[in-house]
Amino acid sequence: MSSSIVTITTFFPTLGAIVIMLYSIIQLRRGKSREEIRPHYRWIAFIVSMITFVLSLGFLLGFDGNKTEPQLVTKVMWIQELGVQYYIGVDGISLWLVLLTTFLVPGAVMASWTFAKRVHELMIFILILETGMIGVFVSFDLFLFYLFWEIVLIPMYFLIGIYGGENRIYAAVKFVVYTVVGSLLMLVAIIALYYLNTQATGVTTFDMVEITNNITAGKLVIASNFQWWMWLAFALAFFIKVPLWPFHTWLPDAHTEAPTGASVILAGVLLKMGTYGLMRFNLPMFPEVSYQAAPWVMLLAVIGIVYGALVAMVQPDMKKLVAYSSVSHMGFIVLGIFAFTDKSMQGALYQMLNHGISTGALFLCVGILYDRRHTREIEEFGGVAQRMPRYSTMFLITAMSSLGLPLLNGFVGEFLILLGTFSSTVPYAKVYAVVGGIGVVLSAVYLLWMLQRVLFGQITKHENEELDHLSIRERFSLMPPVAMAVIMGVTPMLFLKASYNSVSNVSAIVESQASRAAK
Amino acid sequence: MQFSNLNLDYFSILPEIITAVAGVLLMLIDAFAKKGGRKIGPIFSIVSLVATGVAIVALWPRANSTSFAGMIVNDHLRLYFALVVVVCSIIATLMASQFLDDEALPPGEFYALMMFATTGMLMMASAGDLVMVFLGLETSSIATYVMAGYRRTDLRANESSLKYFLLGSFSAAFLLYGMALTYGATGTTNIEAIRQVLMAGKVIYPQMLLVGGAMMLVGFGFKIATAPFHLWTPDVYEGAPTLVTAILATGPKVAVFASFLRVFAEGFGAPNAPDVGGQLHDNWIQALAIMAAIGMTFGNIVALAQRNMKRMLAYSSIAHGGYTLIGFLTTEYAPVGFYMLTYALMSLGAFAIVQMLARQGDAKTEISDYAGIGFEVPNLSFALALFMLGMAGIPPTAGFMGKFYVFKSAWASSPNLRWLVIIAIVNSIISVYYYLYPIVVMFFRPQAEGFIKPRLTAMAQVALDITIIGTLYFGLFPNSALRILQQKAPAAQQIAIQK
Repeated sequence: MSSSIVTITTFFPTLGAIVIMLYSIIQLRRGKSREEIRPHYRWIAFIVSMITFVLSLGFLLGFDGNKTEPQLVTKVMWIQELGVQYYIGVDGISLWLVLLTTFLVPGAVMASWTFAKRVHELMIFILILETGMIGVFVSFDLFLFYLFWEIVLIPMYFLIGIYGGENRIYAAVKFVVYTVVGSLLMLVAIIALYYLNTQATGVTTFDMVEITNNITAGKLVIASNFQWWMWLAFALAFFIKVPLWPFHTWLPDAHTEAPTGASVILAGVLLKMGTYGLMRFNLPMFPEVSYQAAPWVMLLAVIGIVYGALVAMVQPDMKKLVAYSSVSHMGFIVLGIFAFTDKSMQGALYQMLNHGISTGALFLCVGILYDRRHTREIEEFGGVAQRMPRYSTMFLITAMSSLGLPLLNGFVGEFLILLGTFSSTVPYAKVYAVVGGIGVVLSAVYLLWMLQRVLFGQITKHENEELDHLSIRERFSLMPPVAMAVIMGVTPMLFLKASYNSVSNVSAIVESQASRAAK
Repeated sequence: MQFSNLNLDYFSILPEIITAVAGVLLMLIDAFAKKGGRKIGPIFSIVSLVATGVAIVALWPRANSTSFAGMIVNDHLRLYFALVVVVCSIIATLMASQFLDDEALPPGEFYALMMFATTGMLMMASAGDLVMVFLGLETSSIATYVMAGYRRTDLRANESSLKYFLLGSFSAAFLLYGMALTYGATGTTNIEAIRQVLMAGKVIYPQMLLVGGAMMLVGFGFKIATAPFHLWTPDVYEGAPTLVTAILATGPKVAVFASFLRVFAEGFGAPNAPDVGGQLHDNWIQALAIMAAIGMTFGNIVALAQRNMKRMLAYSSIAHGGYTLIGFLTTEYAPVGFYMLTYALMSLGAFAIVQMLARQGDAKTEISDYAGIGFEVPNLSFALALFMLGMAGIPPTAGFMGKFYVFKSAWASSPNLRWLVIIAIVNSIISVYYYLYPIVVMFFRPQAEGFIKPRLTAMAQVALDITIIGTLYFGLFPNSALRILQQKAPAAQQIAIQK
C-alpha cells in the first residue's frame, strides 16, 4: 500500500469541500434556484465522506501491527527555515482513531440532512473539520500537529454558532476560548521543546518521533522543574479537550447547543484528541513527571467519573445527560492512561473508540427524537417504544454498549481499564479503581432510568402518539455504529492486535523511567 | 560624512526616484488632464509602484553596499522592508479608486500624496544616517497628515488630521532633538559610525547620549504607536477615512520599524561596548521590553471594550506593535520583518472590508452594523473572518506564522525574553475574545435591517484577493519570505560573531 494514501485520505474531504464550493457557484450562476441544488450538496458531502472512509480502510492493508514506529509515512521538508516537516503516517495508536473519525463523519452528514438553510456551508464546515481531525491523528511533526489541532477549532465554532440552539453564541465562544487557552500554552511548550532539542542535538526539527527518541535515549535532558512546566502546558491543553474535571464546563454547553451532527463529531472525535495527546506527548516525552503526577491526575479522573455520573442522573434534558455521561466516560479513559499498565492503556485506547461510537450513536438517537418533537426534555416522552420499536431497540443497544454490558464494546474497554488500574504501581491506584467501578454502576443507573422514562411505560403525551417511524436515512445512520458496538464487543482482539505494540511501547517507556527514578 | 568620496550612485536610490517622479507627474496629469485623471491616476500609480518593486529587486545583487557617503545603505534590511512598503502601497492604491469614487473626492492629489508618502517610507528603509531617517519620516508624515484630512468637509476627519499633525510634529521634534543630542555626544550622524564610536568607547558626552537615545525612543515610540505613546491612535484611526487608516496602520509603521531597527538594533546595538555604549544598550532593551509588555496588555484589554470596528482595529494595532517589539528585542530584523509583513497584509485586508461596508462618510463602522451579513455578502464576511482569525493568531493564517516566528526567535534569543513570550501568549488568549466578536455578529446574529450590498470595483477586488491569498500563503508557506529575511543578520550580529 503506497504511503501517499495517508495524505490522500487527510485532504480528500477538503477537496470535497472545494468541489461543493465550486458547484454552488457554478450552479447559481447558471440560474438554478437554491432549493433545487440543495440536496446535491448533501449527497456530495455524503459520498465524499464515504470515499474517505473507504480510503482510510486502505490503511489496514499496509499496516504492520508488529512495528511501533509510524508507518505509511510521508516525510518531506516543508518550511526549511524553521525545520518544519510535512511528516504524516499512522502507528498503532492513531490508526484506529483515524478510522473512528472517517467512520463517524458520514453519520454526522446524515444527521445534518434535515437542515434547510445554509446547507452548503454546513457541509463545507463538516468536511474541513474532517481533514483537521484526521490531520491531528496522523501528524508526526509537532508544528503540523499544532496546525491541525487549531484548524479543528474553526469549523466547529461555526457549526455551533450558526446551526446551534438558542444559546449558541455563548456556547460557541466558550468552546473556542477554553480550547485556545489550552492550546496557546501548549504552543509555548512546543517552542520550548523545539529550542531545547535544537540546543542539545544541534538539529532544528519538530519531528516528534525524533524528539521522543532523544528524550528516551537521554540525548535530550530537560531540567526537572522545567519538565514540570512543559508537562503542565501540554497536559492543560489536553485536559481541557478531554475534558477532565474541573475543566469540563464548556462541554455541556457546547453539546446542548450544537446540532446533532456536530455533537456526534464533538463527542466522537474531538474529545479523543485530548486523550490521544496525553498518550502521544505527555507520557513518552515526560515519563518521570507523568508518573509523579499520576495519582493527582487519577484523582481528578475519578472525581470526573463520579461527578459526571451524578450530574447526568439528574438532568432533565437527554442531550445534557449524554454530555455529562461523556465527562464520566472520558474520566475512565484518563484513569486508564495514567495507570501506565499495558492492560489499562489498551483499555483506554479501546474505550476511546467505544466512547466515540456509543456516544456518537446516543447523540444520533437523541437527535432523531428531537427532529420529531423539537424537545429533548425526558418528561416530554414516555412509551416511545410503542410507536418506534426499531428505534427503541437500537437506542437500547447503544445505551447498553455505553454502560458496559458484556458482549458489547463498552464492557471490554472498561474491564481492561479497571483490571489494569488494579495492577498499577501508581500509589492509590487500587482505591481509584474501586471508585471508578462505582462509576460503572452509576452509568447503568442514569442510562437505564432515562431509557425507562423515554421508551417504556404508557404514552403520556398525545404528541407522542403520532411519532413517525425511522426513515431509511435515519436507519442507515444508526445501523453502522450499533453493528460496530456488537462486533467490537465480541471480537476485541481484531482491533487490539494492531495497536498492542505501539501502546505497550508507551507504557514500557513510562515504567522504565519510573523504575529508574525510584532507584 | 566624507565629502571627498560622495559616491553618488543614483541606481541605489532608483526606487525612491521612481516614486518621487511619479508623484510629480501625477500632479501634472491632474492639472492637464482633468477629465481623465480619475482613470489614469490609479493605473499610472500602480505601474510606477510595480516599477519601483522591480527596481528594488534589481538592487538585490548589490546588497551590502552604501552610497551617498553612507547616507544610503543598501542591505537586506532595506530591500526587504522597501518591498513590503511597496506592496502595502500597491494594495492601498488599488483600493483607493473605489474610495475616491464613493466619496466623490478629487482623485489627483490623493495618488500624488500616496506616491510622496511611499517615497518617504522608502527613504526610511534605506537611511544610513540620522538625517536621512528624519527626512524620510517627515516626507511620509506630511503626506499622510494631508491624507488623514482628505475628506475636507467631514469634521471627524479634520479633527483626526489635526490631532495626527500636532502629535506627529511633537514626536518628530522629540526625535529630532534626540538626534541632535546623539550627534553632539558622538560627533556623527552616520548610524554605522555611531556604532563604531560606541564600540570604541569614544563617546564625548556620555550623559547626552543617554538622553538623546531616550528621546529618540520616545519619537519612534510615537510613530509606531506603542504604549505609552499610543494615545493619538484610536482617535486618528477612527476619524480618518477608512482607507487612510489602512495606510496609516501599515506602510508608515513598516517603514518606521525599518528605521527604528537601523538606529537602535544596529546603531545602538552594542551590548559589549565599554562604558556608556553598553549601558545605553541595556537601557533601551529594558525600556522596550516594558513598552512591549504594556503595549500588548493595554491594547488587548482596551480592545475588548470596543464596539466600533475601526477603534477596535486601532487598539489591536497597538497590541500588534507590542508583539512586534518582542521580535525587535532579539535585535534581529527577521522576526520584525516577517511580523510586519503578515500584520500589514491582514490589516490592509481588514480595513479594506471595513471601508467597503462603511458606506459614504464612514457611516457604518459600528460592529453591530455587521449583524447577520455573513450570508448576504459571504465573500466579504468570510474574508473578514479570515483576517480576524489571522490577527488572533490561529493557523493556517499568516498571523499565526508571524506570531510563531516572533515567539520562537525570542525564546531562543535570550532567557529574559521568555517572560515576554508568556505575557504575549496570555494576551493572545485575551485577543481571541474580541477578534471573535465581529464573527459572532456577522454570522450568528440575525440580520440588521437596511443593509445594502456594497459595490466592489475590479481593482478593489484585486486588492482584497491579494490580501486573502497573501494571508493564506504566508500562513502555509512562509519559506520565501523567511529565506530572504535569514540571508543576513544585521551588522551588529555579524561583528559579534566575528569576535
